Amino acid sequence: MSDVQTSLAFRANATRALGDASLRSAMRQAADTFGTKRADAFASVADLEALRDKASALRLQVLDRLQEYEEMFASRATKAGATVHRARDASSAREIIAGILTDRGAKTVVKSKSMVSEEIHLNAHLEKAGMEVLETDLGEYIIQLVGETPSHIIVPAIHKNRQQVGRLFAEKLGVEYTEDPQVLTKIARRAIREKFLNADAGLSGANFAAAASGSLVLFTNEGNGRMVTTVPPLHIAILSLEKMIPSLADLPTFIRLLPRSATGQSITSYVSVITGTRKPGEATGAKELHIVLLDNGRTEILSGECREILKCIRCGACMNVCPVYRTVGGHSYGWTYPGPMGIVLTTLLTGMAKSHPLVDASTLCGACVEVCPVRIPLVDLFLKLRERRVREGFSKPMEKRGMRVFGKAAASPSLFSAGQFLSRTFWPLVRAFGGKDVAGRLPRPANVPFHRQVP
Amino acid sequence: MTSPDLLRRFLENAGNAAAGTHIVSDATDLCRVLSDIVPGTDPAFCPGLTDKEKAAAPALPCRAADYAGAAATVEEVYGAIAETGSLVCVSSSGRAVQAGLLPAHHVAIVSRERIFATLDDCFASFPEDPPTNITLVTGPSRTADIELTLAIGVHGPERLDIIVFLSEPCSEA
Repeated sequence: MSDVQTSLAFRANATRALGDASLRSAMRQAADTFGTKRADAFASVADLEALRDKASALRLQVLDRLQEYEEMFASRATKAGATVHRARDASSAREIIAGILTDRGAKTVVKSKSMVSEEIHLNAHLEKAGMEVLETDLGEYIIQLVGETPSHIIVPAIHKNRQQVGRLFAEKLGVEYTEDPQVLTKIARRAIREKFLNADAGLSGANFAAAASGSLVLFTNEGNGRMVTTVPPLHIAILSLEKMIPSLADLPTFIRLLPRSATGQSITSYVSVITGTRKPGEATGAKELHIVLLDNGRTEILSGECREILKCIRCGACMNVCPVYRTVGGHSYGWTYPGPMGIVLTTLLTGMAKSHPLVDASTLCGACVEVCPVRIPLVDLFLKLRERRVREGFSKPMEKRGMRVFGKAAASPSLFSAGQFLSRTFWPLVRAFGGKDVAGRLPRPANVPFHRQVP
Repeated sequence: MTSPDLLRRFLENAGNAAAGTHIVSDATDLCRVLSDIVPGTDPAFCPGLTDKEKAAAPALPCRAADYAGAAATVEEVYGAIAETGSLVCVSSSGRAVQAGLLPAHHVAIVSRERIFATLDDCFASFPEDPPTNITLVTGPSRTADIELTLAIGVHGPERLDIIVFLSEPCSEA
């Protein structure tokens, strides 16, 4: 797996995934676990629908006034001792971060999970510049050891089973083979602890940024996010612009929704709110904090018809319920973000030319819309993207021709009934010669058209 | 919500998150509980900044000078939240929030009157310029990154004990 986008090969990727028995069983198990846990977690919320309405309204409010919030955040964070950088695109973000680290002679960097850093392929860039970058989230640590990319935005190694992890640790860390998750976790703790204490810098993402106080908010379970942001003397946080929330007073709404939607917990083990650097007389916090605000296409999405995707709080609930994701896994989508939210973001951020097969990777069943905690109308967005694909000329030639023929026929009653006659007559032939794919999918045309069946 | 309800709800939610919960009403009580949960041979870090932390000292025969090498940290924390069963740890007054993160055992003392009913009440308690670090801690460190199977004690503590200190006798609890 590499940093090269393979979304155009979605069908081939999916076919390969369907033949991977261990992936299929891992995904099946994950889907069942997630479903039950999420339902249990929301049982303790009195008025879930009102909470979703509130969260959605807050996220829209942020999008409507994004620039204002971004400026407020930057000025407050600066006042609290942070240095705020703005990166227009992936390469400028990489340069800024590599520059900060190089200027301070930083060699070892510990990192907590950040999907934005995956989006800009940060690790490869820093490694090329001679730095050691260690992923410290257990799932990210596992896939970093194999050299893969995350297949889920919350559980990056969801596609790996315990035997695979056991063999990997035995091979790469020289420990005795075990497939007990508790023991494997302890092995990782020991291997990473030393690195935490000696790292030159910590690199993190952020789940939210509270504009009114200039605070970063991180949700973690393992404690690695806390380590990365408090132990090394230098902390660099990278986040995309739309992570803003108005103030810390709005945080409880998202604390109630995000962990429940993501992992079925009523709250993660840790929620850290970081405001600036260590002040005189304090014993917590990095001595130097740099915050990189990444645009990388967000401003353009904001002015377009799919802007509501920027409400996304990255909980992953949409992928956990998606029948396509649950069957083919995250790597099939061929870029950083998989599943329903990934279809939309990938298409918008990388362009239709690099991703158009993804807009078919949905049955339009709407399960994602049912669970989205911030009410993103994902199905509407898929349809908009399908329209855009036609407009931009990326539909398949057969589909284009077929639609043109159907358009003509539908405009003329005599052509239409001739078509009905032909399809009835030739259907057995098509079934017989079209192979088992066609036989399985092509329904028999009605002998009596529907409008004549209705009295 | 009345005070006994608040306490009950906090203890229940903290327990559900796999934290050990204890109630004490004076210094003797505190030392008794600490002797039970912190083995005397374990090097324990205790900042000794507050009255309650000072009262804990007799129960900690083996004191660690620094949290980084300690087996346990015993400290008083800013507050707690009934809604989620969380502790609220903050960096104000020179406190190292990471002291409750590095050792494998975290023992937090919280005054009963510092239990907030909801997350909203907790965040409303901070000034406009919040302290450098506010961390809500709910249960021990955990992961489900391998086959979504829960494993306790990743990078943070594998054991969390919460001692609620009742400042006045409280029969309802």
